Amino acid sequence: MEYNGGSVVAMVGKDCVAIACDLRLGNQALGVSSNFPKIFPITDRIYLGMSGLATDLETLRERFRFRVNMYTIKEEREIEPQTFAHLVSSTLYEHRFGPYFIEPVIAGLSKTPSGDLKPFIAAADLIGCLNFAKDFVVSGTASAKIYGLAEALWEPDLEPEDLFETISQTLMNAVDRDAFSGWGCLVHVLTKDKVITRTLKSRMD
Amino acid sequence: MARRYDSRTTIFSPEGRLYQIEYAMEAISHAGTVIGVLATDGVVLAAEKKVTGKLLDLSSSKEGGYGGSGEKIFLLNANVIGGVAGLTADANSLVNYARTAAQRHLLSYNEDIPVELLAQRLCDLKQGYTQFGGLRPFGVSLLYAGYDPHYQFQLYHSDPSGNYSGWKATCIGANIGTAQSLLKQEYKDDITVKEAISLVLKTMSKTMDSPTLGSEKLEFAVLMLDPKTKQPRAKIYKPAEIDALLLAEGLMKKDEDTEMKGV
Amino acid sequence: MEVSFALTGKDYVIVAADTTAARSIVKMKTDQDKIKILSPHLLMAYSGEPGDTLQFAEYVERNIRLYQIRNLYALSPSAAASWIRRSLAESLRSRNSYAVNLLVGGFDTTTQEPHLYWIDYLGTMTEIPFGAHGYGSYFALSLLDRYHDPDASLEEGLATLKRCIDEVSKRLVVSPDRYKVKVVDKDGVREVEL
Repeated sequence: MEYNGGSVVAMVGKDCVAIACDLRLGNQALGVSSNFPKIFPITDRIYLGMSGLATDLETLRERFRFRVNMYTIKEEREIEPQTFAHLVSSTLYEHRFGPYFIEPVIAGLSKTPSGDLKPFIAAADLIGCLNFAKDFVVSGTASAKIYGLAEALWEPDLEPEDLFETISQTLMNAVDRDAFSGWGCLVHVLTKDKVITRTLKSRMD
Repeated sequence: MARRYDSRTTIFSPEGRLYQIEYAMEAISHAGTVIGVLATDGVVLAAEKKVTGKLLDLSSSKEGGYGGSGEKIFLLNANVIGGVAGLTADANSLVNYARTAAQRHLLSYNEDIPVELLAQRLCDLKQGYTQFGGLRPFGVSLLYAGYDPHYQFQLYHSDPSGNYSGWKATCIGANIGTAQSLLKQEYKDDITVKEAISLVLKTMSKTMDSPTLGSEKLEFAVLMLDPKTKQPRAKIYKPAEIDALLLAEGLMKKDEDTEMKGV
Repeated sequence: MEVSFALTGKDYVIVAADTTAARSIVKMKTDQDKIKILSPHLLMAYSGEPGDTLQFAEYVERNIRLYQIRNLYALSPSAAASWIRRSLAESLRSRNSYAVNLLVGGFDTTTQEPHLYWIDYLGTMTEIPFGAHGYGSYFALSLLDRYHDPDASLEEGLATLKRCIDEVSKRLVVSPDRYKVKVVDKDGVREVEL
């Protein structure tokens, strides 16, 4: 996990979710790229973040895109966050005894039977053990630090702009204390009608 | 005499013909017409539906999905739509093959499959059934309307033998003679999507059996570039959108009763 | 010790690699070309385990050429880089993996843009404005952070490259003495003398 570095966090708000990552790609202590996003859109209302070994991150991104595209085109509807979480989990567990070194974080808005959208977040370990949290999920080299800040800053039912501020402060301050994460951050806030995407500048050391 | 060479697809007749292939093409010439027109800023596809009726459940095509009833026009990939004519069951199998081939290309090269390459992939499969023994060829012709950065907008046609070719405007299915001569007369090289839509619908209305066009007999799709992202975007029309389009083009016979209800 | 650099500028990519073939502590020859021309607008500098490097580079070269023959046009730089990355990622989890690090530079003729990709033997890939492999990266990257300009002319780009090479010569104990430099732009690939 420390080979390339990187961290991801997701948080629940009031009728919205946020997911954020840092932008560093390293080769152990050497920084290679300051523009390496670790979050990818899966559908209009599911975002997947991954931290860990960068080669597996790219391989899994391609594999998930393949499987979600085939799902979408055959089912003629977009995949639901819960379904996608289990797709991620089973893909990882398929490699139980030679795993992809990735810890995924999923943020999405799921449809309720009444047609409303409900915030959804989940994380998994590298062999696909799912963790459905109600507040926030973390992964990556700065995960312990993110936990600390999230525990202090997060509160229930944050509005989109407040949630953006909370997740940004949590991630930026956590990665500043981590040598393997940082070099800028990327934040997405998913709301009912739009996705707010912002790139944050941070310390470059 | 010819009958002796019918039963196997892979045996030439003494005149050097493959009868099963010709029969497959014959089957296609009874299928619903599909017309494709290539414009400067997009590609237009329209298809005549044969399976209709009051009791047919079309609820899935009215809301959700990609539009279309799943009979004639399919989304093959983000940058390609396909129109099929022939045996629907064979077509479904080919559409599935095309979608998988397109996704495999995306997986290998991280780019949308070039349109001609997708046509080639299907033709390789189709050709196999004209050569290897004991199997029936696919009774399907396809039109591929797509976009890639190499040749921009493109329109291809492929037939059961595994031949394919690129076109500015073409059609497959029943009454193609009439449709093709109409297209030849009316097509201009600098045609826009707007004009192509009119041309396709006009041609369609002249080739179809029924005198009036309506969403219950028609599928319709357009592939254009998204003005913002500059990426190709396919739009397969839903029944209500087709009716609105036909109304705007002045091709739908107005139904007095429904108009009264609206008041 | 092997060193390779690459940087983009206005409508071009420069790729440079040392020309030393070494075994243990002995220089066997000093005129080896470690930059393959994959297609009319695509370059690849390779370094790593001797044997693996050439074997893998030729495998890539032939496959890219095959695609071009089959489809009448070459793969775009991003498609080629993605394919190469996948080959390495699949190789990594096979019984005999290739230990090869790459810098893939190309000019996309459909969009008229230069692209440069940094790929390591694990299959890690990222698009970058400049990059390096080997011990040279520890000296060159900080110089490039300071002097790289994405809109620089070819002369300015080559001057920046010269700074990197001079720095490596000055500070690295086992620095190579000769480099091969190739450029790719809208006119294709060519070799330049520094």
